[in-house]
Amino acid sequence: MSAGPATATAPRRARRRFGLASLITGVATAVLLALAFFAIFADWVVPYDPLKQNLIQALQGPSAAHWLGTDDLGRDVLSRLIYGCRIAVIAAAEGTSIAILLGVPLGLFIGYRGGWWDWVVMRVVEAVVSIPGIMVAIVIIALLGAGLHRAMIALGILFSTSFLRLARGVVLAEREEVYVRSARVVGASDGRILLRHIFPNIAPPLIVQVTLTVGAVLLAEAGLSFIGLGVQPPQASWGTMLNTAAAFMDLNWFLAIPPGIAIIVTVLSVNLLGDVLRDSIGRGIAVTARPQAPAAQPAAAGAVSVAGGAAPCTHGKDEVLRVEGLHVMVSGRDGAEVPVITDLSLGIARGETLGLVGESGSGKTLTGLAILGLTGATVRTASGSIVLNGRDLRRLPPRQLEKVRGNEVAMVFQDPTTSLNPAFTVGSQIAEVLRTKLGLGAKPAWERAVELIDRVGIPRPAERARAYPHELSGGMAQRIAIARALSCNPSLLIADEPTTALDVTVQQEILDLFRDLQDEFGMAILFVTHDLAVAADICDRISVMYAGEMVEMAGVNALFSDPRHPYTRGLLSAMPHSADRTPPLPTIRGNVPRPGSWPAGCRFSNRCDFYRPGACDRLVPLTGSGRLVRCVRAGEIELRAAS
Amino acid sequence: MLRLILQRLLALVPLLFIVSVLTFSFTSLLPSDPVDLIIGDNGTQEQYELVRERLGMNQPVVVRYFQWLGKAVQGDLGTSFFNSVSVMGAVMQRLPVTLSLTAMSALIAILIGVAAGVAAALRPQSWVDRFATLGATFGQAVPNFWFGLILVAIFAVNLRWFPATGFTPITQSPWEWLRSVILPSIALGTASSAAIARQVRSAMVGVLQQDYIRAARAQGLSARRVIFKHALTNAMVPVVAVLSFQITVLLGGALIVEQVFAINGLGTLAIGAVRQQDIPMLQGLVLVMVGLVVVVQLATDVVYGLLNPKARPS
Repeated sequence: MSAGPATATAPRRARRRFGLASLITGVATAVLLALAFFAIFADWVVPYDPLKQNLIQALQGPSAAHWLGTDDLGRDVLSRLIYGCRIAVIAAAEGTSIAILLGVPLGLFIGYRGGWWDWVVMRVVEAVVSIPGIMVAIVIIALLGAGLHRAMIALGILFSTSFLRLARGVVLAEREEVYVRSARVVGASDGRILLRHIFPNIAPPLIVQVTLTVGAVLLAEAGLSFIGLGVQPPQASWGTMLNTAAAFMDLNWFLAIPPGIAIIVTVLSVNLLGDVLRDSIGRGIAVTARPQAPAAQPAAAGAVSVAGGAAPCTHGKDEVLRVEGLHVMVSGRDGAEVPVITDLSLGIARGETLGLVGESGSGKTLTGLAILGLTGATVRTASGSIVLNGRDLRRLPPRQLEKVRGNEVAMVFQDPTTSLNPAFTVGSQIAEVLRTKLGLGAKPAWERAVELIDRVGIPRPAERARAYPHELSGGMAQRIAIARALSCNPSLLIADEPTTALDVTVQQEILDLFRDLQDEFGMAILFVTHDLAVAADICDRISVMYAGEMVEMAGVNALFSDPRHPYTRGLLSAMPHSADRTPPLPTIRGNVPRPGSWPAGCRFSNRCDFYRPGACDRLVPLTGSGRLVRCVRAGEIELRAAS
Repeated sequence: MLRLILQRLLALVPLLFIVSVLTFSFTSLLPSDPVDLIIGDNGTQEQYELVRERLGMNQPVVVRYFQWLGKAVQGDLGTSFFNSVSVMGAVMQRLPVTLSLTAMSALIAILIGVAAGVAAALRPQSWVDRFATLGATFGQAVPNFWFGLILVAIFAVNLRWFPATGFTPITQSPWEWLRSVILPSIALGTASSAAIARQVRSAMVGVLQQDYIRAARAQGLSARRVIFKHALTNAMVPVVAVLSFQITVLLGGALIVEQVFAINGLGTLAIGAVRQQDIPMLQGLVLVMVGLVVVVQLATDVVYGLLNPKARPS
């Protein structure tokens, strides 16, 4: 039923966003068209001669005769503003064209020639760029003299540096490409090949740079005219009008408004169009598929499997973590929520390692994050309880939960090189946790950090504590991450694929370390992995996840020797180690369905060799005692496997 | 860190050299004959030769360049063609004024830019984000001198909270100094704060998605600590490069904004020098500005190295 509203809201929202973007584009385009219109037809549309003085009517406010008032010499502001449009268009066109005509060929040339030419020109460009732009323009104007066209030559030279660097960059990149492909063998000359390769590559960044330059030229022209080095009076430009306004600010402040608004609206339109252009060039036409509406109501799913939810596998009073009926929802781009984990229940005892196994997309990593309450803004834990050491974490206020993290539960992530902060030494990152979580002083915290680094088997710990993450190998960095996670002696450690990013030899060392540390600290471990071989090595029990739900849970030996769920069987036979028949490596056909497009009944039904219409199309509860399985045909399959 | 500074300093020597060659050759190309400018229309041929001799104009350009450079290295930028004051003296007299504006506007730009950028990044697509993005787009389209005029109209002419024009040296009265630089600095810094806010937002959004942020949260560190220590330190790495560029822009912008507030800084000096074709003054101004930019770049490099251990020479 939820399919109706979910799919109905999606296009409406998309249309609204599309509407806003096209509205902005439309308005900006209209502004620039109006500007062009006034620039071309200024002589016909102005109500007055922009240079005609009338001292009797000087410095008047807006009136019926003069819509925008008059300036210090009684000239009509509206007429001068309209002529200013012409100056603005000329300035933008001249400045930008000069910049392109100067920068692009020179950039292409030095990029192509390389060597001394490139070195000298690039040093000059660096020098010019290190001088404030306005000062460069001022010096060039000193050389050429003031005036609109001369000022635009100055700005053109100034802004040519960015076009030069852009063109040079494209040539250098393409040169590499061309040589790699060794198109030269065909016999065409370098130059011709380069040109053919360059044009399609230079066009998009060039367009972007043009939009940036047009806005900058307009602002710079106004600034130069304002200080009297650009357009010269009595000619009307927005900059010179502001120069006049500045002198009469206390008599008639309104004089500053029309030219100011004109500049802002024009530059804003250019920049906004540039943004839109940049976005469309940058992203291409990337349309992400929206997840479909959920096939089954999560609430219904929860109700059916209550019997299975209260299942055994509990280790009684020794239990550190008990998750019961966990439902996690993710909201898509359109705001509609889709379930990603449904009715998940599991428990881990002190000193025990529970493996959470499944393909990517099965929701196993998200389970770990949901326990910590760190799923991010778009993901929401909808219902269920997460009881850690007797307290339901979902009922804790944020502050309390923050205390629990680190102290009672900690997490080790997949990629150690990205889970450590690159800006701080590894020792300080461990010491920081000790200081903030345990209230240790700076020195004891550091000493304890060094001890921990020693404990996870890193030689010369005092020295390594001062290293930055990028100075350590992956295995070493993962040891540091483990040391940090264990720094407050948590009772639960969540390890999310902690060996996946490491070399095979290092993997074994890290697994041994986990075992050692568990013997010493006695924490429970929730070990998330897609690798059954790793899970077999370290876990006591394994819980298999598929499409957001648990499909089977059993002790490690039972699971490997006698898998009950067809998916588990598929996973096991896909393991390279267990395949006696060498070729071909059996795999499960198809992929894990995306959240939102799960089959209505058994979520594995569309990939299952044992699918039976009818029986498998209804919601399947988790059943069994001692070990659990979510399959209506579990008994039959067992028989068949035995025969 | 000392090694980084030395390394960067050495790299700056060729840059300064090229700037000096450029400045000297460019200003030597000025159309007017400085000797004519000095002796005026009624000068005799003898006077002409005398002045020419005194200015060293009868020597080849290369010789003149090295003489000029030799003096410049010792802090002597020559004498103005017009009022016979030393260029160095004139520039140094105005420098505190322009530096006050640049520094204060940089401070405002960084404070507003970082705050707005972080606020927007923390809640993407929220009204805070939309408002900040809109403000940033707008801020970059407003000419600084026009914004200055509007600020004068509102806060100086109408409300009389701040002086409309003039500059008080900080040595004379820190309070009056602050009052005199606050409006021009806001006018100048707004566009830069918009540019910085955009950068901070995009950098921060990227950093907040990093594993180490989630890992720090998983370790139970407070949101505030994670955002302002762990995330911001990393997000500032790309922003620092933008900052260095923005300070150069602010220095240039100060030249124009000074005119709005009738502040007698380097801008007024530069405009006067252009009008009078005062070659030594223009040369000196460019060199001093490049010197300032170089100092800013050096400072940015050091900050960059502090924020990003990977950038340090090992």
